[in-house]
Amino acid sequence: MKILIVDDEYVIRHGCRMILEEQGYTVETTATCGEAIDAVSSNAYDLVLLDLKLPDRDGTELFKAVPRGINGYPRIIVMSGYINLRNNMSAVDQARFDFLPKPFTDEELLAAVEQNTMG
Amino acid sequence: MNPSLDYRPLYNAFREIISVINSSIRLKDVMDLVVWKYSEVLGARGAIMRLLNIDTDELEISASYGISQAYLAKGPVSLHRTITDACRQKKVILIEDIVNDPRVQYPESAREEGYRFIIDVPLSVADNVVGIIRLFFSEIRRFSEAELDWIIAIAEQCSCALGKARLIDSYEFKYLQLATHAEKLSALGRMAAGIAHEINNPLAGILLYSSNMIKKVPPGEPIEEGLQIIIDETIRCRKIIQGLLDFSKGRDPRKEPTNINEIIDKSIKILENEFHIHRVNLRTHLASDMIDVMADGSQLEQVFVNLLINAVEAVPEGGTVEVISSVGESRTSITIEVKDNGPGIGKKERDKIFEPFFSTKSKGTGLGLAVSYGIIRNHHGEISLQSHPGKGTRFIITIPVSQDTDSGLAGISTQETP
Ligand SMILES: Nc1ncnc2c1ncn2[C@@H]1O[C@H](COP(=O)(O)OP(=O)(O)OP(=O)(O)O)[C@@H](O)[C@H]1O
Ligand SMILES: [Mg+2]
Repeated sequence: MKILIVDDEYVIRHGCRMILEEQGYTVETTATCGEAIDAVSSNAYDLVLLDLKLPDRDGTELFKAVPRGINGYPRIIVMSGYINLRNNMSAVDQARFDFLPKPFTDEELLAAVEQNTMG
Repeated sequence: MNPSLDYRPLYNAFREIISVINSSIRLKDVMDLVVWKYSEVLGARGAIMRLLNIDTDELEISASYGISQAYLAKGPVSLHRTITDACRQKKVILIEDIVNDPRVQYPESAREEGYRFIIDVPLSVADNVVGIIRLFFSEIRRFSEAELDWIIAIAEQCSCALGKARLIDSYEFKYLQLATHAEKLSALGRMAAGIAHEINNPLAGILLYSSNMIKKVPPGEPIEEGLQIIIDETIRCRKIIQGLLDFSKGRDPRKEPTNINEIIDKSIKILENEFHIHRVNLRTHLASDMIDVMADGSQLEQVFVNLLINAVEAVPEGGTVEVISSVGESRTSITIEVKDNGPGIGKKERDKIFEPFFSTKSKGTGLGLAVSYGIIRNHHGEISLQSHPGKGTRFIITIPVSQDTDSGLAGISTQETP
């Protein structure tokens, strides 16, 4: 199970990685939207954990770059409050998103990740 | 009737005044024209229009025609002496003995100006005398029925214009108050949202590490207790920040057809225990013909819980809290009221209670109403309040059934009495 964490804050990247790796997930991290777009274009992830406020570009730009598999996977967990994703997105596409507003506990993180990964 | 009387000047002056009243937005234009036409048509030396200043209870000059500066400078005249019963009955008062009549406050000056005869024409709005037009003549004269009727008719038109102007003033005032209040709250909201977003990242770091670390320390160690405190306190911060975000535009409502009565029932369920502990009676009158509104049920539940908690906290033991829901007459909006018989909210506090962190309670965060305000605004609704100190408070929420169109100004309005 391979997860990409996109956040410009080291503490968040590092903390999430530590907790997820302890549970046996494979984790990669990037700090910018540009790096994240590169990463998802050349790797297959089961899940992307995404902060929307990134230094180079708005995190929503990553949405299009994440390849679309079956049943709306891989899924994207947006680490902020509920945002409206109405902008010309189909219902299936919208269903790919989940929200985990910061701050969250390790358990809340693991529960969200489990819920949003297949199998 | 006097067949020899020429009605044309009366008729023409009347027509002129009416047309100015209907076309002019400036009340002063109307008043100037009225004193001028009165003098001209009736052959008076001059006229003064005085309007009531509600604060000082004195009649102050608002327009004049043909009167010397010296006489005008005499100052205001008292209301009580001038307004007599005849005045209240909307009758023209003829003052022939100007030297001895108590209604004339500066008889010597009047004589010096060459006035020998005065008439007073009362102006009234909604049965209250709001002013007087006084006409000054060089000699005593008689008026025909037609002339007296005409004098009264002009006064009525003038009063009408006055009433209209006051109404517009009060609306404008209320609107301005509302607008500045909403503006202030939205600036506060933007600031709060900015701070909240900035703080959420460091809080996320603290919460992630502490919640993970606590699993790695041997149970019972002092360090475990310390970590638990860090976790609890961080979660407390999270709640405050969430409140701030809810108050600002932070969280979009997830709207779906919602039955408000069900949401009210849920909120009451949550607080059943509170009511019981504080021995507060709860009465509900929920509309039997309730219609669904597009709304975020969990957010509205939060609003009702906030209002109900405030009400429970406000009333003494044995007090009563009432929840009433109703459907608007045109069935395009619904209204929910939360009413208590607590101490009420003073005028000074009323302007502040929707601001984040305003609280008069020792343990209050002051976010309950701020959050509620934000949520109702996101539903394009209005939250208003009526409170009468000593008698209780009533919060009124109105939500439009469908919210496709932006209603613009999210409102707060306050009124004196329930
Ligand atoms: N029903 C009421 N009767 C009297 N005063 C009220 C009532 N509701 C609110 N208030 C006043 O408004 C203030 C603000 O209310 P608000 O709910 O925003 O904050 P709080 O109740 O003080 O704290 P919190 O809700 O965050 O615990 C209160 O402290 C109180 O002074
Ligand atoms: Mg409260």
